[in-house]
Amino acid sequence: MTASGLPLITIVTFLPLVGAIAVALTNSGKPDQARYVALGFALVTWAVSLLMLGGFVTAGGTQFRETYQWIPAFGINYSVGADGLSLVLVVLTTTLSWISILASFSPIQNRVKEYMVSFLILEVGMTGVFVAQDLFLFYIFWEVVLVPMYLIIGVWGGRNRIYATIKFVLYTLVGSLLMLVAILATAFIYQSGHNGSWQDAFDLGSLIAWAQQGHFNGSFGILAFGAFALAFAIKVPMFPFHTWLPDAHVEAPTAGSVILAGVLLKLGGYGFIRFALPLFPEAAHWWAPLIIVLSLIGIIYGAIVALVQPDLKKLVAYSSVSHMGFVTLGIFAFQQQALQGAILQMVNHGLITGALFLLVGVIYERTHDRTIAKMGGLGSATPVYAAALGFFVFASVGLPGLSGFVGEFLTLLGTFAAIPAAAVVAAFVMIFAAGYLLWMFQRVAFGELSEFLRGLGDHLTDMKPVEAMTLVPLGALVVVLGLFPGLILGLISGSVNATLAAVGQAAPIALGLWR
Amino acid sequence: MTFSDTSAMAPFIAAVLVSAAVILVDLVWPGRKTAALTATFAGLAIVAALTVAVGQSGTTAFGGSYRVDALTTFLGLLFVAIAALTAAFAPDYLGERGLPVAEFNAVLVFAMAGAMLIAGAADLIVLFLGLELMVLPGYLLAGYHKTDGFSTEGAIKYFLLGSFSSAIFLFGIAFMFGMTGTTRIDAVAANLSAVVAGTAPFSPGLGLGLAFLMTGVAFKIAAVPFHYWTPDAYQGSPTPVTGYLSVGPKVGAFAVIIRLFAGALLPMAAQWNIAVMVLAALTMTLGNLVALTQDNVKRTLAYSSIAHTGYMLVGFAAFAAGQIQGLEGLLYYGAAYAFMNLGAFAVIGAIQRKTGVTSNLSTFAGLVRREPALAWLMFLFLLSLTGIPPTAGFFGKFYIITAAIQAGHTNAWLNVLAVLAVLNAAAAAFYYLRIVVYMFMRDPDAETSVATHGRLVWTGLAVTTVMTIVLGLFPGVLLDAVATAAKAIG
Repeated sequence: MTASGLPLITIVTFLPLVGAIAVALTNSGKPDQARYVALGFALVTWAVSLLMLGGFVTAGGTQFRETYQWIPAFGINYSVGADGLSLVLVVLTTTLSWISILASFSPIQNRVKEYMVSFLILEVGMTGVFVAQDLFLFYIFWEVVLVPMYLIIGVWGGRNRIYATIKFVLYTLVGSLLMLVAILATAFIYQSGHNGSWQDAFDLGSLIAWAQQGHFNGSFGILAFGAFALAFAIKVPMFPFHTWLPDAHVEAPTAGSVILAGVLLKLGGYGFIRFALPLFPEAAHWWAPLIIVLSLIGIIYGAIVALVQPDLKKLVAYSSVSHMGFVTLGIFAFQQQALQGAILQMVNHGLITGALFLLVGVIYERTHDRTIAKMGGLGSATPVYAAALGFFVFASVGLPGLSGFVGEFLTLLGTFAAIPAAAVVAAFVMIFAAGYLLWMFQRVAFGELSEFLRGLGDHLTDMKPVEAMTLVPLGALVVVLGLFPGLILGLISGSVNATLAAVGQAAPIALGLWR
Repeated sequence: MTFSDTSAMAPFIAAVLVSAAVILVDLVWPGRKTAALTATFAGLAIVAALTVAVGQSGTTAFGGSYRVDALTTFLGLLFVAIAALTAAFAPDYLGERGLPVAEFNAVLVFAMAGAMLIAGAADLIVLFLGLELMVLPGYLLAGYHKTDGFSTEGAIKYFLLGSFSSAIFLFGIAFMFGMTGTTRIDAVAANLSAVVAGTAPFSPGLGLGLAFLMTGVAFKIAAVPFHYWTPDAYQGSPTPVTGYLSVGPKVGAFAVIIRLFAGALLPMAAQWNIAVMVLAALTMTLGNLVALTQDNVKRTLAYSSIAHTGYMLVGFAAFAAGQIQGLEGLLYYGAAYAFMNLGAFAVIGAIQRKTGVTSNLSTFAGLVRREPALAWLMFLFLLSLTGIPPTAGFFGKFYIITAAIQAGHTNAWLNVLAVLAVLNAAAAAFYYLRIVVYMFMRDPDAETSVATHGRLVWTGLAVTTVMTIVLGLFPGVLLDAVATAAKAIG
């Protein structure tokens, strides 16, 4: 609750659900009704999340708390709250949600109502994950995300959509169900340590406090962390659990890809920081060497594979694998700058990759093709588009002054302090990133207008105002956060310090030798 | 027979009378569906009211061979709900095929009476009587579409294996009687306690009796490897009957397990729990794996019901390992499963309303365009069967897995079962979602006309939908009930 007395978090979480119901009640024959109602609710939700941003006290820890009993027999509460990290990600979610809905206005012409309902329910799940302070509640929201995304890819996706969506669901489900077992086991240990009382056994704060006394250490912690980490690693996605991502991205409609890259992948990173690390600090250190190695492989592998992708969307998808590798690397360096960098990287990746997917969608809508080889010369034919693409490509490469740079730089700086070898490897890969992105940009934008594009004639129009409207806010944020990263660093400093205090700053055991 | 005997058994007696009344009503107004249905629902309401009223008295009847406790009440009400929902879903389907509704309802209520008798059995003979009274009408129902070859085939398979397993079960009871000298459940338990304590000798006959009883109930709940009758019986039966068979006799057979194994045979839990755990692991895994390869929805759900048997057995194994929560979870899961599975079969039945519509996957192609309401409801039930929150099926799994993990503290194998259960749930997602793929993501092969559905079907679907959501979002409404019901045994 805030001073104003409004349950802001509940509003921001469930307003989209109200919106979904409202959209469901619109006239199926008039898809515009569904579109505007959905956009309206998403915009109001966004405004409420900005209101929270305004009311946030930087040094105040977890705020806007609301706790109500839900299933007392198991000590399960409806308990929500937000610290800086949650808040930043909530705002990212609400921002990308309305942008995605707006970006779906023209590409989605089929069963618009159901699409908008799915999207709004998706927003409920995503926001819920970031604000849940109860493990049971968190798990519910975590699974709620799955269902609408399954429909969005499966119903409105490309040719191979069914294969892609089932792969996405099964991968995620295996991870999350094992996590459920780990959640229950953790709660049970808490319960048996409290004379068999389930009181607060799912409460995140109580569990973390209990973890600090070493109750989740030993082999249990290692197993439970493994289960949590698997669920999060699949979502991030970490090598070798990433194979669902390219399929899902390629088949998903544009807005689905935006949300997938922009928010869904962040659920994994958030899960590591919020749950896995503080609950099982000892096990986190035990697992860290493996995760760091996998992150490095992911960074390198994603970049190399992206280099040879013939398909624009697949290229961006693999670049996600590479970029998200920086996130897990930064998290498991257990170092302040690295963690700050990882969180910044999550936000930046959401903004930049989201924008890149939007841009791929823009060209796809005109050409119905995404083959890089068929493109070329867009710089002369559609200068605005090419400029926008160039801007976000440079942001993604990590051009100083744009936000992408700060996240990767901080991550590398912090990682270098903790594990120099890992930082050196990762830094070299940034050259690859420049390679595949700039090469792609060159092939798409420069040179003569290609045969294929010339054949489109008048269909090859430059960006429409609506499309620009979806990209401008993202571009503005990329510039602002690039110049003033302190805006976010200030918000998340409390969360970063709390996480590091809980998990401990010591360098990973095995890689410590490399110091 | 004293007055207190009668009052304790009032719900059971009422159920039998209702069944007779439905036939009588049909005799007076032949062929009048409305009259028979009114009689059925009014009668079931009376039975439910009596069950609640008697449940508060907490008595025994007939010299202690029938017992009314919280478990009797809980299961009794669940059986009434199952019968009422089946009666609501069936008329549309039966009417279209020229099958009489009144007899269907009469037979159904008879089966329900048998299940209620099981729920209150305090004597092995009464338990067996209840079991037979429950399953015999089941054979009739399976073959209810007597001009349909598949229905008859399924019914004969069901009947043959059913009577076979009843015989095995009865044999087991005979051994128990021979070894302990009594058929009274608490007396058997006392005798077995003595055997376990070492004050009475353990005989091979006892082990044989245990094995027979276990095999008998394994057949009834369709646990792997005693499940072979299930797919044919389920696929062949008229769809509303399939829905009933997959829920009613299954929960009824679990009532047998609870009364028998959690009552009479509990002292030897350490001996038979290994078998339960093996059965649970096999049943979950095989049920799900075979379901993956089916392309008939009824058959898929038949195998999935086998898998759900496995999940429930995990709960029972946790109970046998000393966690009362396992039994609570089993009861909760039973209720959740009843509503979501009946709902799913109701949707299949509604889609098959017109004669000749098969239950193949292709029938479901593009359903969301033809009948969006049915498609979305089916989606909900399938999510619940998968165990995705916030639905009843999820909380059922949550409960059972929690219990297994708690029991895993003393018996590590239960931890393994818990992990196996969730992996199975993930595998199950594949075939449940395949139905969703057909409903939402494929176009129909041919234009099928849209059927209209009676008010009863929609009412029943509303009830199953609300229960599927409420038991997922607000499990508190049932937690006290399952806790007191479980305490009546533990």
